[in-house]
Amino acid sequence: MDPALKLEGVTKRFGAFTAVDNLSLTVPRGSIYGFLGQNGAGKTTTIRMVMSIFHQDEGTISVLGHSDATQVKDRLGYLPEEKGLYKKMKTAEIVAYFGKLKGMDKSTANLKARELLTQYGLAEWMDKKCEAMSKGMGQKVQILGTIIHNPDLVILDEPFSGLDPVNRDMMRDTILDMKRAGHTVIFSTHVMEQAEQLCDAMMMIHKAELAFEGTVAEIKQGLDKGIRIDYDGDGSVLQNLPDHDRINDNNKSAEIFLKPGADPQNALRWLADHLTIRSFDISEPSLHEVFVRTVELRDAELAAKEVAASGGNS
Amino acid sequence: MANKTLLVAQREYLENVRTKTFWLGILAVPVLIIISLGAGWVLNKLKEVKTYAVIDYSEPSIGRRVEMTARQGDMRAFQKAMKEAGKVFSAVPKGELPDNEDTDKLYQAMLEMPATDMQALMKAGEGFSTAKKYKHRSLSELELDHLEPAEQEKALAKLVEEEKLFAFFTLGKSPKKDLDGFNYVSNNLTDNDLRNWYASATTRVVQSLRIRDAKIPRNVAERLQEKVEFREKRIDESGDTADVKGSEKANKYAPVGFVYLLWIAVFSIAQMLLTNTVEEKSIRIMEVLLSSVSPNQLMSGKIWGIAATGLTMVLSWVGFALLGIWLAPMIISGLDFPLMAIIGDPRYLISFVAYFMAGYLLYAAVLVAIGSVCNTLKEAQNLMQPVLILLIVPLVAMIPIVQEPNGLVAKVMSYIPLFTPFTMMNRAGGPPETYEYVITGILLIVTVIFAFKAAGKIFRVGVLMTGKPPKLREIFSWLRQS
Repeated sequence: MDPALKLEGVTKRFGAFTAVDNLSLTVPRGSIYGFLGQNGAGKTTTIRMVMSIFHQDEGTISVLGHSDATQVKDRLGYLPEEKGLYKKMKTAEIVAYFGKLKGMDKSTANLKARELLTQYGLAEWMDKKCEAMSKGMGQKVQILGTIIHNPDLVILDEPFSGLDPVNRDMMRDTILDMKRAGHTVIFSTHVMEQAEQLCDAMMMIHKAELAFEGTVAEIKQGLDKGIRIDYDGDGSVLQNLPDHDRINDNNKSAEIFLKPGADPQNALRWLADHLTIRSFDISEPSLHEVFVRTVELRDAELAAKEVAASGGNS
Repeated sequence: MANKTLLVAQREYLENVRTKTFWLGILAVPVLIIISLGAGWVLNKLKEVKTYAVIDYSEPSIGRRVEMTARQGDMRAFQKAMKEAGKVFSAVPKGELPDNEDTDKLYQAMLEMPATDMQALMKAGEGFSTAKKYKHRSLSELELDHLEPAEQEKALAKLVEEEKLFAFFTLGKSPKKDLDGFNYVSNNLTDNDLRNWYASATTRVVQSLRIRDAKIPRNVAERLQEKVEFREKRIDESGDTADVKGSEKANKYAPVGFVYLLWIAVFSIAQMLLTNTVEEKSIRIMEVLLSSVSPNQLMSGKIWGIAATGLTMVLSWVGFALLGIWLAPMIISGLDFPLMAIIGDPRYLISFVAYFMAGYLLYAAVLVAIGSVCNTLKEAQNLMQPVLILLIVPLVAMIPIVQEPNGLVAKVMSYIPLFTPFTMMNRAGGPPETYEYVITGILLIVTVIFAFKAAGKIFRVGVLMTGKPPKLREIFSWLRQS
């Protein structure tokens, strides 16, 4: 079967600025796929090209097996990062309106909207205006508007941002439900823990270019292992740990990478002397670490290239 | 695909039409008109009655005659005008209208009446109503009749000073010889109505005194005094000349009302579209919509939806106007009938609706493009300034064009598509040649299509832009992109 989404050599420029540079990736059907990257890296531009809101300057995009995404627009669901509702419309009306815009007929859309709102605990809000709802409820309505037409591919741009834990769980469950129903979900996020837990596969885009793509296991393969500890005490002493390369200190836990050749056992002994260690394990680096390290590495490479280029000119 | 445009338009329309404020806004216009008409009428009624006194030094005394003449107005002019009206009135064939409906007959007669006579009649009639505004206080009423004239003047001056009297007149000693001692004393230096009204009556009395004094026969005097009036004539279809009818005269000026309404309608609805676009951008709903509909569908949906809203508004007003025309003669008699007949003229109504649609679409395209690149209403208002200045032109040209509907200015402006709807409506009384309708119409339609295309290109990019509005140069570069 065709992949849900396939990008080959996609480039998008805005004037002199290249927003996405020669991007290729494949999203398998029925998977949950993460788009990672810093702010302004090119995630949203990529998503907009997939949704045919923008058109790429170069390369091909195939969505659900169609090279022209406009042909399958009604089978896609999209929740942008910046999302709003018509304040004066009633909740059930607006959800149904989004359904109708996706080609559902009037009565089906109205029925389905009421069904979804009831299912998601908003039954009493159905005939109230959107302006009366809290932010969390508004977000729920937005996601319902995104999935009302049962899309084959759902793209969510930063779906978790600004949500409280209960609504985060709701969002997570919705994503899982979609996957279980055989649909494909793509979402972008800044929260690495979420991506690590939810995604079957993911890609990272850095300054318009693809940094990595694959499953979590594939991405972490070959990277040096780190020490993870949970501790009590003053974490500032961690900076004195001999032979450490880098430390991600989270106050109650930390991820420590040693210099090549250093013995983790020595580190453990030193740590036990200076802090109260509650747990200790040696494992693959977290996605957070992979992300931060990729950014640093790539920035260093880009800086070196620039120096070389300006050196060559002078 | 067009289905989605319809969905957007439908939503837009329903959202506007379902609000109470929309209908209140529609209702507000006729209510305001009625209030302002009513207020004018009431104000006129309430206008303070101006009191005046007269000290009569003349010999023989003409004070009483002047007073009588002033009260009667220009009877002779009125009689003459009435005679003309009566001719037309009796000329309306019997049996054509039910005999008891005299108002209808009078209405018909006034439409048929030559414009010159009609103006004379109205002017003569005015004399009676002005007389009501002034009240004469006799000297005995003021208990000054026992005083010497010099004392009287002093006392009256005091009353004027204390604002118990608006003014007083003195009539000079020998009106047959000279006009010495004819004075008007008042503290109000701006309102000359009373002075002019009293002066014209005095003039008539003094004239007749002198005529009699000179022993000029009455008929000679009348001939000498006759005012030259050029009767308004026009050349009719058969090449002969005919009196210009009152209705025809009003006909020429009727377009002004339509242009004004057209201007208000186009402007307020296009502005509605601008506000709506900026608002929708600020609530960040554009991107959600664009994942389901194309930018062109979204834009045309909005434009048509708001066009329907505007049409609802304008048609409601037209409905009110027709209702008013139907009701007015029942409520108020002696209304300015001919103009009312014109508003109901289908020729004007049809071109009004057609030019409304074309004008709206043209300005809608411009304003939706402006709205799409702005993030706040303030930005949008700044960008709208040039459009506003352009829109003032047809408003300023309104009266000159109606006076010279086939003049050079009118003709040139007809061919500038931004002004075509207003100018052609303005010239409707002319009326313009058929070929002009055709050529300017084609030009207008082509421009509308072109404006829609250009607006689509700007809208596509602009609507997703945040941050500061783009420079004109950037916008032009979007236009060049295919």
